[in-house]
Parts: sequence; structure tokens; C-alpha cells
Amino acid sequence: MTDDHRQIERDAALWLARRDAGGWDDRQQAALGAWLSETTAHRVAFLRLEATWDETARLHVLAAGVSHPQIPARGAWQGSPYFAPLLGDTGITASAPRHRMFRPTRARRWPLLASMAASLLAAVTIMGTLAWREVTHVDRGEWQTALGAQQVVHLADGSSATLGSASELSAALSRRERDLYLPRGEAFFDVAHDPARPFVVHVDGYHVIAVGTRFDVRHEGSGLRVVVTRGLVRLRSARDPQLAATDLPAGSVALVKGGAVSVQQVPLDEAREFLTWRDGYVVFHGTPLADAVQEFNRYNAHKIVLADPSLGSLRVGGNFRLDNSAGFVRLMQEIFPVHADSGSGDIVLSRRPGSHRK
Amino acid sequence: MGESVDAWFVRDILAHEAALMRFLHRNWRDHDEVSDLRQEIYVRVYESATRKFPDSPKSFLFTTARNLLTDRVRRQRIVSITAVGDLEQLHVLKDELEPDRWFSGREALARLARALDRLPDRCREVVWLRRVEDLPQKEIARRLGISEKTVEKHIAKGSRLMADHFHGIIDRDIPPGDRQGAHARIRKPT
Repeated sequence: MTDDHRQIERDAALWLARRDAGGWDDRQQAALGAWLSETTAHRVAFLRLEATWDETARLHVLAAGVSHPQIPARGAWQGSPYFAPLLGDTGITASAPRHRMFRPTRARRWPLLASMAASLLAAVTIMGTLAWREVTHVDRGEWQTALGAQQVVHLADGSSATLGSASELSAALSRRERDLYLPRGEAFFDVAHDPARPFVVHVDGYHVIAVGTRFDVRHEGSGLRVVVTRGLVRLRSARDPQLAATDLPAGSVALVKGGAVSVQQVPLDEAREFLTWRDGYVVFHGTPLADAVQEFNRYNAHKIVLADPSLGSLRVGGNFRLDNSAGFVRLMQEIFPVHADSGSGDIVLSRRPGSHRK
Repeated sequence: MGESVDAWFVRDILAHEAALMRFLHRNWRDHDEVSDLRQEIYVRVYESATRKFPDSPKSFLFTTARNLLTDRVRRQRIVSITAVGDLEQLHVLKDELEPDRWFSGREALARLARALDRLPDRCREVVWLRRVEDLPQKEIARRLGISEKTVEKHIAKGSRLMADHFHGIIDRDIPPGDRQGAHARIRKPT
């Protein structure tokens, strides 16, 4: 099966190359047509290679204004203005400055030398300090996101944190423990398994403790929410260590408000829906409009305001992009008797005149 | 007749190959089988479109993919739970939310340049001369002192590798969920 597919792909590539060689005549075209018609597998393999090959015509711009006596070295076009921010993650010349104009001959060697020098220096530094760092090293970092923004943070222990809108996170990772602080906002943690080093999120007077797991912590004025999608998380009051800790297995949604912890067990799929903000959208199932609006307001500068509190109890369902509150409001106007006014910057929702049903 | 199935397939299906490959890599443990799965999915989608174009090509593509994976798991007599990530979930939504288009011009160019850099030396040289400098195959053979047949073989190989590399296998080591937003690294103490 697999070999079959690979052979078909090789055949398709040969047809493509032969046609590309020029001198292609009707007889050959007919032969290609016959081969393509033999099975759908032939056709889709050929279409796929052809589509990408056509796409490679874009590479032509790399030659613009430059004559190449030789083919440039790999990564040599890093300096090309065509790529400025895009090739940044290739790792090829990560340490070389990338703001130069595209000067093919000299620019080509310089980043290479610079990166060689940088990696040599790095190697020496690492060897010299490795032993000492092993014992005392603490990796620290602080991150903040703006309203509506999102940031993925890769921690030195292999864990990652995804910061939601208007959030703040700091980290101190030592050999003994991993301490994270979330003074405000929301973060999703994907924790690298390391039983010897507990991973503790300090938030709002609580410790959220994980070993190797995935969970989300949201810290807002009104309280704290922890959603666990994998493994086990332990929630403990930092202020009162006497209080029993609460164990949260995957599928838990814990709400902490005024010192009280309530835990709800939901199917995993449902728990994951709390995390869709990482992909820029939100899922509602019969959610009160008041809650839905709050969700959008966490991400957008132009707040949605309910002029009539009774609107808050309308139920909303569906998937919505968080950055498209205007689209959400438009939809609300279509399905509900509401009127939106965004004259003042904020979007004020009020009941459409004459729609009072009580 | 409306538009041809070929054109539809290139525009509305192949455009999602990067997302499809991520989906397959995430949900099928044996990565060697992924390109085989992809081809089979394409065959199913194409044949179905010859009868009727689906309303939503992307959803149809991922539904087909999901069904194929489920079939495959059932066919394996001993069902191994680890063979698939999460059969229920299958992360479809996330992949379906990827941009539904061919890459933007600049992004495509960057990906192509990266894909080109991953070709073996001779192959890269040939593809460069053909696609960047626009030399005919015959002229490339002359310039490199190799036979035209050999140039043709390099083009064939290049077209296969470029297709693989262009469509996002490059990024497969990045864990899911990490592709959006800026990447930051912890600051080293000074």
C-alpha cells in the first residue's frame, strides 16, 4: 500500500520533470492524459506536485537584480528584504543581525562568521558555568500581554505557558522547584513531567500544584478559575495551610470565590472548550448573554455594555472569534430584539423599542 | 459543467495540506504512514467531488480524514489505544481553523526558500537554476556537466521534496497550540 503510493508519486514527479524539460508534444500530452485517467491516485499525486511546482515560480524573485556566479549557500537570503521577519525562526543565523539590505556577496559571509563567533563564545561560556549553574541556577522571567493579545512562553524546564489577554506571568525555576506567579489574567500551562520539582502556580492566595499535566488558570477580580485537561492538579490555600487541599483530576473545573472552592466534573471535551481562547475563539452553549459579553470584553478595548440588565439572561450558543466582537454584536441584533449603538466607542446593547414582552 | 474538479481540488483542498499534515501527524503515531494516509484521503475527496462538490471543502476534507483514521484503527485487529491520539477529539477543530488559503505571498516565499534549503546539494542546485534563474533543463545539464536525464531526475526528486517540505512538515516538532502569538524564551540572569 505504502510502496504503491510512493511509486505513484515518483511516477508523477517524472511526468512533471519530463514535461518541464521542454519539447513536449501532443503525443506526450496524450500519454500523460492517459496515465492521469488510469486512477484517481495518479491524478491527485500529479496535481499535488504540479501545484507546489507552480508555486516554486515565486522563488524567481530571489534572483531579482542580482547575478549569481554561484548558487548561494543555504540560508544566504536571510538578509533579503523579502523575508525580514519571516525567516527568523530557521535557527540558521539566529545570532546575526538581520536588518541589512540584501547584498549577495559580502552579506552572505558575514552572518555566517558572526554566528560562528557567537556560538563559539556561547560554547565557552556554557562549559565554564555549567557546573556552578547546576547547583544554584534560577531561571527567571516576566511576561505581560496587552489587551486582546496572546503569548506563548517556553520555560527553561520544557514546560510552556500560553498567556491570555491582559495577563501577567513571572517564573522562577530552580533545581528544587518551579514557581510561577499569575498576578492577573489567564494562562494555560503545559507542564513538563518532573516529579522532583513541583510546578506551583501562585495565584490569589492559592497554590495550584502540578506534576506533569495541562491546566488553565484564570485570575480575575471576582475570583479564580482552574480548568484541568490532563493529569492531576492540587489546589491549596496559601494563606491557610491547615485547610485540606483539593485534588483536581482531568475534567475538573474549579471556581474559587470568597474563600470557597466549588468543583465541577465535566467531560474532557467540555473542559477543553474553556481553553479555546488559545486558538482565538470562544464556545458558548446556552450561555447567558451577560457572561458571553464579559468574555469578549476580556479581549477587546471597545467594551460591550448591556444597557438593559434583563438582556443578560438571553441565551447564546455557538463558536465565536474573540477578536470579532463587532461580528458577535451584529449577530445578536439579528437574532435578538436588541439594538447596538457604538457611537461612544463602547458598544451599548439595548432592547429594541417596542420589543418589551413582559 | 461548472469548474473542473482539478482546479477545485488544487484551490480548495490542496490549500489545506499543511493543516491536514499537522492533523495526521498529531493523530497517527506511525509517521511513516502519514503520506500514505494523505494520498488516500485525497483520492476519496477527489472521487467524491466528481459526483458532487461538497459545500464546505475544508470540513469535508477533515471529515474524510477522521473517517479514514477510524477505519484504519478498526481494521487493525488489535486496537491500540496509543495508535491514535484521541480518537474522539482528533483535534479537528483546531486544524480546521487554520487559515483556509494558500499561504500569503511573502510567507509562501519564505517557506519555499526554507524548503529549497533542505534539498540535497545537487538537487538544490538544479532546482535553483531551473526555478530561480529560469534556465532550461538542457542548459542546466550543460552548465553542470551532467546528462539531461540526470537533470530530469533531480527535477523530479526536487518536485517531490519541495511539495513535502512546503506543506508544513517542517513545523511538526512545534507542539500543538504553540503556533500562535510570539514566542518568548525565559530571560537568563545577568
